[in-house]
Amino acid sequence: MKYSSVTKGLVFSLAATVMAFGATNIARAEVPSWCGSKKATLALLDGYGGNSWRQVTTASGKQTVELCPNITKYEYADGQGDTQKSISDIKSMAAKGVDALVVFGDAGPAVLPAITSVFKAGKVIVPYRVNVGGKEGTNYSKFIGSSFVDDGESWGNWIKSILPKGGNLLFLSGPAGNSQGLDELKGMKNVLGPEYVFVNPAPFAVTNWDPALTQKVLTAEIAKNAKIDVIVSDFGPSLVGALPLFNKQGKSIPALATSDGNSLGCFWNENQATNPDFKLFTVATGNDNVRLAVQWAVALATNGVPPKDEVFKAPAFENSVTGQPKAVQCRKDLPGAIYLSSELPAEDQAKAVGN
Amino acid sequence: MPVARSFVTVVISTLLLLVVCAIFAPSSVSWGALSGSLPFAAIIAIVGLGQLLVVQQGGFDLSLPGAVSLAVVVATHYPQQSDALLSQAVLLAIAFALAAGFLNGVLVSFFRLNAIIATIGTNALLYGAVFAVSGGVPSITTNLLADIAGGEILEIPNSIFFALAAMAFVSFMLKKTVIGRRFEAIGANPLAGRAAGLRVRIHRMMAYVYAQLLYCMAGVLIAGITREPTAFQGDSLLLPSVAVVVLGGTSLLGGRGYPISTVVSAFFLNQLSQFALTVGVPFSAQTIIQALALGFGIGVYSIRWTVNVRKSTGSRNVEENK
Repeated sequence: MKYSSVTKGLVFSLAATVMAFGATNIARAEVPSWCGSKKATLALLDGYGGNSWRQVTTASGKQTVELCPNITKYEYADGQGDTQKSISDIKSMAAKGVDALVVFGDAGPAVLPAITSVFKAGKVIVPYRVNVGGKEGTNYSKFIGSSFVDDGESWGNWIKSILPKGGNLLFLSGPAGNSQGLDELKGMKNVLGPEYVFVNPAPFAVTNWDPALTQKVLTAEIAKNAKIDVIVSDFGPSLVGALPLFNKQGKSIPALATSDGNSLGCFWNENQATNPDFKLFTVATGNDNVRLAVQWAVALATNGVPPKDEVFKAPAFENSVTGQPKAVQCRKDLPGAIYLSSELPAEDQAKAVGN
Repeated sequence: MPVARSFVTVVISTLLLLVVCAIFAPSSVSWGALSGSLPFAAIIAIVGLGQLLVVQQGGFDLSLPGAVSLAVVVATHYPQQSDALLSQAVLLAIAFALAAGFLNGVLVSFFRLNAIIATIGTNALLYGAVFAVSGGVPSITTNLLADIAGGEILEIPNSIFFALAAMAFVSFMLKKTVIGRRFEAIGANPLAGRAAGLRVRIHRMMAYVYAQLLYCMAGVLIAGITREPTAFQGDSLLLPSVAVVVLGGTSLLGGRGYPISTVVSAFFLNQLSQFALTVGVPFSAQTIIQALALGFGIGVYSIRWTVNVRKSTGSRNVEENK
């Protein structure tokens, strides 16, 4: 009896050891080149985590971190749109001894002093997506921007293809003066000539990416402008609630150049038949920007090989006119607040946004 | 009963604004533009009525952003786009509103806390609940709620009917019922109310409860009007709620309240921002215009116009003052 249980125990432990070795081997085989040999801890700092886009982005960041077994601890902090909190988050993470920080610096240059002090203290710090000013090697380890100018150019080229003779454009972006909107406008102006008229107050109509304000702004713009040929928006899903306003004022929804979102794709499917002018073009909304930033931070902190790319370029995603690169996507069975262009599988995104 | 001065002022201002709109930005008074922006006026009107009741008791309710946001997230996250769960979600939102209202009321009227401090605390608690329910993430509203709150009857947005119903109910209760008359009397002079044997503390407490119920109504409506409301939708409503109470002519020291003027002011304020948007002034100027309107509103009522009135009808005033 006793003997047999000892044997069983031996057999089990042997089996467990073999499996453990096997698992390590598999894991080792999958370790990406940016994950070096040094052990390190990493924190992801968000300036504002309160929307589904950020939720998916955070989940993507976490998933990327998990690919590297030498990251022994992963932490996350949400600045909740409060610049003071974002600054203290950055400083306290560094004070806690985290080795690498990836920062979404929503407040822009306002968080630069905090980032610089952390960098000077010898940490790896990688701000991404929002330009915080400063210089690489002086204020931070690496800045992983997103090429919003490219987004603007993609939209511009599409607008040219559907509206070769020019027309009236309405450009909606987030808070007043945000660098993303300004860069996108630059991109569009690189491509579009003076025959394309922006009917919004320069540089863009301010919506704060808030659906309620978007609705108010769009109401005023529709009433003011008898003819809007194309709406350009850098957050497509926030328009979904507002677009039916066109029908209320007896007009067809116009063509839309924007970023993707499941709710938007499904909205297009439901409304394109009754709105003859409603063409849709989207660029990937850029959740995967965080992956590149995390890879850089991990590479620098663990002595891995840094990725080749230094700027995230959002690829074109949907085009309702040509179906290239993709026709409009809609997953009705999943929540509207997910992004089918993201590398994170749709089901995982659904979990991340809490559905 | 003579028409209140505040009512005349606010109606004249609104008509003036409409004329200015018709001249400089005619599209902002087109029916299409109005039906798009009126739902937001309705929301401001409803939260304004809530704030009015608290202001009448000499208080301030700074828990409004949390209360509205909580109602929004409960009405969207709890049902998760299932129409069948909507009624439960609304009941749950009302339960939260009652709890927050009684908390505010007890703190202010029984524990004698300063209203501003007590309601800021409650606001923090409510935001805690907002995060617990939503995780700070928006959720898409149910189709049923979108039809009820965002739909139209005879081309008039339904939210207008809700705002008008709230206004009629608050006016009737305040002006035509015993409980309402006592409520106003206590607001005007709590000591006299106490001397007259009125239950001052209960009435004061209930002001916060009524207000919360109105915020809850506004929150549920927002959840229906915007398809994917954020978890912080109440934040932008605090200042307008106080502004419309002031523009409506209710004294911040408490006392007589003007629900109808408050609702008209809500329309005024909303139309003003819509006008600024339509004219296409830069965003900075839009904010300044709204601030000026608020300053104008406060100025109209705080400058002692009565000085002039006394001069012309001096003799009668002397008799009254005796």
